Amino acid sequence: MTSWFVFIIVGHGLVAIALALMGLKRRVAVLLAAAPLGAMFLWAITATVTGNVLDGGALVAYLEWLPALGVSLSLRIDALSLIFLSLIAGVGLAIVAFSGGYMKKADPPGRFLALLLLFAAAMSGLVAVDNVFGLFVFWELTTVTSFLLIGYDDRKGSARAAAFQAMLTTGLGGLALLAGLVLLSHAAGTTSVAGIIAASPTGGVVTAALGLVLVGVFTKSAQFPFHFWLPGAMAAPTPVSAYLHSATMVKAGIFLLIRLAPGFAGDPIWVPLVVSVGLVTMVIGAWRALRQTDLKLLLAHGTVSQLGLMTALAGIGSPAVLHAAVAMVVAHALFKSALFLTMGTVDSAAGTRDLRLLSGLGRRLPVAAIAGGLAAASMAGIAPLFGFVAKEAAFAALIEDDRWTAMGVIAVASIATVGYALRFWWGAFGAKPLVLESTSGEEGSTRPTAGLVIPPLVLAAIGLVFGAAPGGVDRLVSAAAPGGKLVLWPGWNLALALSGLVLAAGLLVHVQREFVSRFQRSAARWAHERVGMPSTERGYESAVSGLNRFADRVTGIVQNGSLPIYLAIILSVTVGVPAGAWAISGGGWQGSPWAFSAAEAVLAVFVAVAAIAVTRSQSRLAAVLLLGAVGYAVAGLFVVYGAPDLALTLLLVETITVAIFAFVLMRLPRRFEVRKWRIRGWVRGTVALGVGVFVAAGTLIAAAQRTARPVSEQYADLAPGAGGTNVVNVILTDFRALDTLGEITVVGIAALGVAALVAGLRSPTGGRT
Amino acid sequence: MSTAMAVAAGALFAAGTYLIMQRLLTRIVVGLGLIAHGANLALLGSGGEPGAAPIVGGSTGVISDPLPQALVLTAIVITFGVTAFLLALAYRSYVLTDSDAVEDDLEDRRIAELSRKEAA
Amino acid sequence: MKIRSSHFLETGSRTIVPTLLVVSVFLLVVGHNAPGGGFVGGLLAGSGLLVVFLTGGGRAVEDLLPVRPATLIGSGIALAMTTALGGLAFGGSLLSSGKLDIDLGWVGKLEVGSALIFDSGVYLVVTGLVATVLLRLGDTEGARR
Repeated sequence: MTSWFVFIIVGHGLVAIALALMGLKRRVAVLLAAAPLGAMFLWAITATVTGNVLDGGALVAYLEWLPALGVSLSLRIDALSLIFLSLIAGVGLAIVAFSGGYMKKADPPGRFLALLLLFAAAMSGLVAVDNVFGLFVFWELTTVTSFLLIGYDDRKGSARAAAFQAMLTTGLGGLALLAGLVLLSHAAGTTSVAGIIAASPTGGVVTAALGLVLVGVFTKSAQFPFHFWLPGAMAAPTPVSAYLHSATMVKAGIFLLIRLAPGFAGDPIWVPLVVSVGLVTMVIGAWRALRQTDLKLLLAHGTVSQLGLMTALAGIGSPAVLHAAVAMVVAHALFKSALFLTMGTVDSAAGTRDLRLLSGLGRRLPVAAIAGGLAAASMAGIAPLFGFVAKEAAFAALIEDDRWTAMGVIAVASIATVGYALRFWWGAFGAKPLVLESTSGEEGSTRPTAGLVIPPLVLAAIGLVFGAAPGGVDRLVSAAAPGGKLVLWPGWNLALALSGLVLAAGLLVHVQREFVSRFQRSAARWAHERVGMPSTERGYESAVSGLNRFADRVTGIVQNGSLPIYLAIILSVTVGVPAGAWAISGGGWQGSPWAFSAAEAVLAVFVAVAAIAVTRSQSRLAAVLLLGAVGYAVAGLFVVYGAPDLALTLLLVETITVAIFAFVLMRLPRRFEVRKWRIRGWVRGTVALGVGVFVAAGTLIAAAQRTARPVSEQYADLAPGAGGTNVVNVILTDFRALDTLGEITVVGIAALGVAALVAGLRSPTGGRT
Repeated sequence: MSTAMAVAAGALFAAGTYLIMQRLLTRIVVGLGLIAHGANLALLGSGGEPGAAPIVGGSTGVISDPLPQALVLTAIVITFGVTAFLLALAYRSYVLTDSDAVEDDLEDRRIAELSRKEAA
Repeated sequence: MKIRSSHFLETGSRTIVPTLLVVSVFLLVVGHNAPGGGFVGGLLAGSGLLVVFLTGGGRAVEDLLPVRPATLIGSGIALAMTTALGGLAFGGSLLSSGKLDIDLGWVGKLEVGSALIFDSGVYLVVTGLVATVLLRLGDTEGARR
């Protein structure tokens, strides 16, 4: 079963490659893109029905990746994973069908659909993988693919900026997540997510780790104070927004919260942090959604608000509330994707999505109006839609748990939710007496194609079916988070009364919209002028530009174009880091013999003195001759060390080198040019001395640390078998001949380089070239 | 590894490093030559106590470790090729600019100027 | 270019250079069993070229060499590469060695192992490098002063 899952995921990638490369016709491309999503949907259904997932089991597979690091791609697909997988694949199918009709005719569909599939694959992997590192990899893959999707319209500067903002925010959050996950897996002693939750370690480190994980979650799910990127990401094409920013990507954070809640809701940081962030986000999003005139931004802020609600529910973390949170995820994915798609239909039919300019579209787009109406009603929590069922479950669970503060805030924010749900439908389809009836946007397209109206209708209708008969869904939801029951008619109780109250108040908000918007305007002015409310988006912008300035400054200092300075920096680091590590580790030192023979000592001293003399010489020729002297002394050391081959080679090389130096130097000025150094002499001297000491001490320390027998011991016994008795030569031409082959190739390239560098310099009157 | 070898290698590295941290290509070539010698000594010294030449049947007694010798042998020839290449570079630089000095990277200088202006 | 026409050098080179070249080939051949080998041999041949260069200039070097230096390098790498692939062709792994005994009568037996062919490639490359460097960097004719 799980191998089929892997196969389908790989299929996503293969189809994406085919789509990107083949330049297929629109209809064919849509059908091809639908294939892996459809397969995944069917797989999820089959896995739900056939396995023991509904009884709380899971499909498990172990895929090795980097076993030495404890990194694997092991899969663990339980009910929660299956819920998300069905949403990813099911909503994905609707999105693909919709985008076939939505994307402009001039826009070849291949690249867009390919990116969408890659994203779907990353998202599916994210919810199915069990290893923390695998989780992080898929998490970041969704970040990268969403970057490409948000910036799909890459000729628009605003789209690029929004994509960059989203990636930077969620990417940084992803890094925090990684750090947190590593700490958690360390504390729990396993890299399996399920294992970590089962172990649910506690302590200060765990609290810090959870803080880091939550930063990742909050960035991904657009929670305060990182909520600004989501409305910004509305620069994406509408199908992308419908997919990423309602049903899938932003839900990754919620997914992780729901996953971790059973294990970590008891941590001191969890409930206060997650619940307060969720509630604040919910209120901010709802407030802003009520103020929008752009339908897409209205939905974006509404999404932020709903994500806040789900975060708060997952934060409370008791079984009943978690159960409601899972139900809410399903409901939200269905109604919000339908709303986004409906908005896209309106946009493409009328050419605008400004609700002040739209009027009377309900008559022209009846099917879209029905779909949008059902979805908006679900969002508002009107029976018998699934949104109502989920919200009732949440209210009931909160009341049952005595979470009155949360209950109160959520109820107030829900009033706004009803308000902006009505505002959406009225804005898109309502007839406004003072506004000209909207005409068709694109020429000749008076009626939207079936591809534009069917997908949102299907999504909204599913919401109706689930709402009317919640029993089937409830089995899966309860398997993911046991602790509650989804019912359409709970009987007369406090939760129902509260729902009614919220609905009535929401209706009032909509009817009195003039008053509400006046109130919001003056409140905004007050907040701006009196309180000077800091904007987190402004904070993001100044952080980014400050970082850029800082990078410029650092680059200006360390990378100022001077090769000597570069070398000094590189060498200082090269020497400083290992030397520091050696000192920290206790500075081990073993004595070494002074010298193995008198000849060795004499030659070594000569080499050292001659080397220092080279640095003092002011004439080029003297420097070269001293270099030659060093070379001959080194050859002498080779003899002492029983290496006649080396001595012979080095003597010949030194002779030829000195000759060549002489040839070149004959044409250069006799003395070294006097240049003003950018580095003072004492800095160079210090770095040089440091390098020298480092090399001397380092070789002594390293050579004394030998633990294994030298590999070359057997070479002497093997050499005759390879047809030679000169072991060095046998190594070069037989044992390590591949190295030698590479080396002579380098030598050949150096010769070609010499020829090329000098060739062009001959004057026309010159001789041979 | 004897202390004498280590000191010789260290001195070669120090002198070579001192020479490459400046601008004249001819000096840099000499410096690299010194560093190469230093690296070869360090390699050879790491083979442990010296013995007879590593030729089977050539002599009785312990032979030197042949592996560092093979490494050093190729290193010597490579160094020769690189030295020739750098000399050609110095020569070309001298013919074209009348100096064998390595000038600053202009693009990098420009970035440095830019950040200075921004700071001001 | 001739550094300076010296009668002594010129006569000397007439005997020294052939000796150097013969010894270089000798070192190449015995390298598998005694000090020597392709690197040393090639460098010794290069020293011979250096002597020729100092006495007769670049033209004398070119006259001495049967082919251009680049051809030396190319054929050397090709030879070594062929040996490497030959190991594959004869059923062994890459670069595995084989050998062939040739009876040279009174000279003795010569074992032509694949290692020797490989080393000959090295010899050619190193000789070619020295020749290139001498002809390119040593020849100042027409160069700027």
